[in-house]
Amino acid sequence: MTEYFAIFMGVALFILMIPVIYRIGAGPTPFDRMLAVNVIGTKTAVLLVIIGTLFDRVDMFVDFAIAYALLNFVSAIVVSRYLNRTISLDEMEAKENAKKIKS
Amino acid sequence: MKLLSYIPVLVVGVLLLYAAKDFPEWGSPDAPASKSPVSSHFIANTGVDTEVPNMVTAVLADYRGFDTMFETVVVFIAGMAVLAILKNSGRKKLVKREFEVDAEPDLIVTNTVRLLVPVIQIFAFYVLAHGHVSPGGGFQGGVLMGASFILVALSWDLETALIRFPLNWTTILGGLGIFLYAGIGLLSMFLGGEFLDYSELANIFPVSREMARYHAMLGVEIGVGLTVTAIMFSLYANLSTEGRLQRGL
Amino acid sequence: MSLDQTIFIPVLAESLHTTTSPTPLQFFGILLSLLGLFFFVGTAVGMIRFPDFYTRMHAAGKGDTLSTMLMLSGFGLVSMEDLSMGSWLLFFKIMGVVLFIFITCPTSSHALMRAAFEDDEMPMTEKDLKKPSAKKK
Repeated sequence: MTEYFAIFMGVALFILMIPVIYRIGAGPTPFDRMLAVNVIGTKTAVLLVIIGTLFDRVDMFVDFAIAYALLNFVSAIVVSRYLNRTISLDEMEAKENAKKIKS
Repeated sequence: MKLLSYIPVLVVGVLLLYAAKDFPEWGSPDAPASKSPVSSHFIANTGVDTEVPNMVTAVLADYRGFDTMFETVVVFIAGMAVLAILKNSGRKKLVKREFEVDAEPDLIVTNTVRLLVPVIQIFAFYVLAHGHVSPGGGFQGGVLMGASFILVALSWDLETALIRFPLNWTTILGGLGIFLYAGIGLLSMFLGGEFLDYSELANIFPVSREMARYHAMLGVEIGVGLTVTAIMFSLYANLSTEGRLQRGL
Repeated sequence: MSLDQTIFIPVLAESLHTTTSPTPLQFFGILLSLLGLFFFVGTAVGMIRFPDFYTRMHAAGKGDTLSTMLMLSGFGLVSMEDLSMGSWLLFFKIMGVVLFIFITCPTSSHALMRAAFEDDEMPMTEKDLKKPSAKKK
């Protein structure tokens, strides 16, 4: 019974991931793509637990799920930081000049 | 042109799917990997020889210890190569970047990372030490440990992370990991066995020969974990700033 | 063709033959997972239908976090076949993943949103809707 339910949940998750994958391909901005990747990453943690239920080794697969969720978080922070905090070199020089004038 | 490039991708994909039909069934005893005498030897003897329940760890750290040692050395050499190429403080001005990083830590992200980093580090130790029973080991634990330091460097800036984990330490720790690995191998050689034959360690420690292999594997994994942690962080610090170690990504 | 013929994993096919009715706790877990699936449907529809980045962020950030938490805790209950020490340990481990996702998922959403805002990604306003070019999006 629980195995049939786990198979159903896994298949349903895969089908519902198709729109999200569409957003990776079609997203107008890089942030859209990254958001969709983030959604799929968190859902992969669920899928790992489902696979663990199917193989009767949930104790093993939970460790993978934690590690996967962690690396997903790190990747989201990396991309957001890369896209956020980078400004062009001219702006940087202008900022430093403004600081010098102030002090 | 972009559409044209889909054609080879599709053709290769269909060919690969067609070839996948000839694979042996999952977990089938007739598969070539299960049939070979080496794997049946490992399956029959790991529990008796080393008392390690997880066969993969036993094969990786004990039966093929020589292979794993030089894998660790390769990781170490990669870190040293990046250091040698990038850490050239003499010609800072030749490297001109198109953009610069405006470092200003975000309040929410830093507080979350403050909560998470201890948890991640404890989990890394768990993965490292629990590799005998469940999937895990030195490489995985080292990657998680390095990721925790990278997370600190990402959410504050690189200087904050370098106060906690200075770059000189990465070289020392990376070397120390390999030294630990090779030291255990050499110690067992001096005790009368072959290089990396851990069972000879039972001569000086009060354990049986099987448990000596069990515990020596843990020591080896700790060595691998140290090297991987140090080199992960060193690679990140050097590559993200092109060797200048300022401001970070 | 029955289900266990199509599935070629031997371990799985064996466990499919022994069908036992779920305990009340497992039934509750199944309900929780289905509720999580419902919220994930919301996320998936929102990812396609919403017009600009911030509204998509609204759909993905909330629905994704809640559905992941519900599904994981549901499967934590489903995997509890008895009330022994081992299954309690497993349940708390899965609850640890739930707590982890509860903390990290909104934070990564916030980081992405802030990155988009500082990168001058403008939210869609009423003016944009009147423009003919907005219809293409």
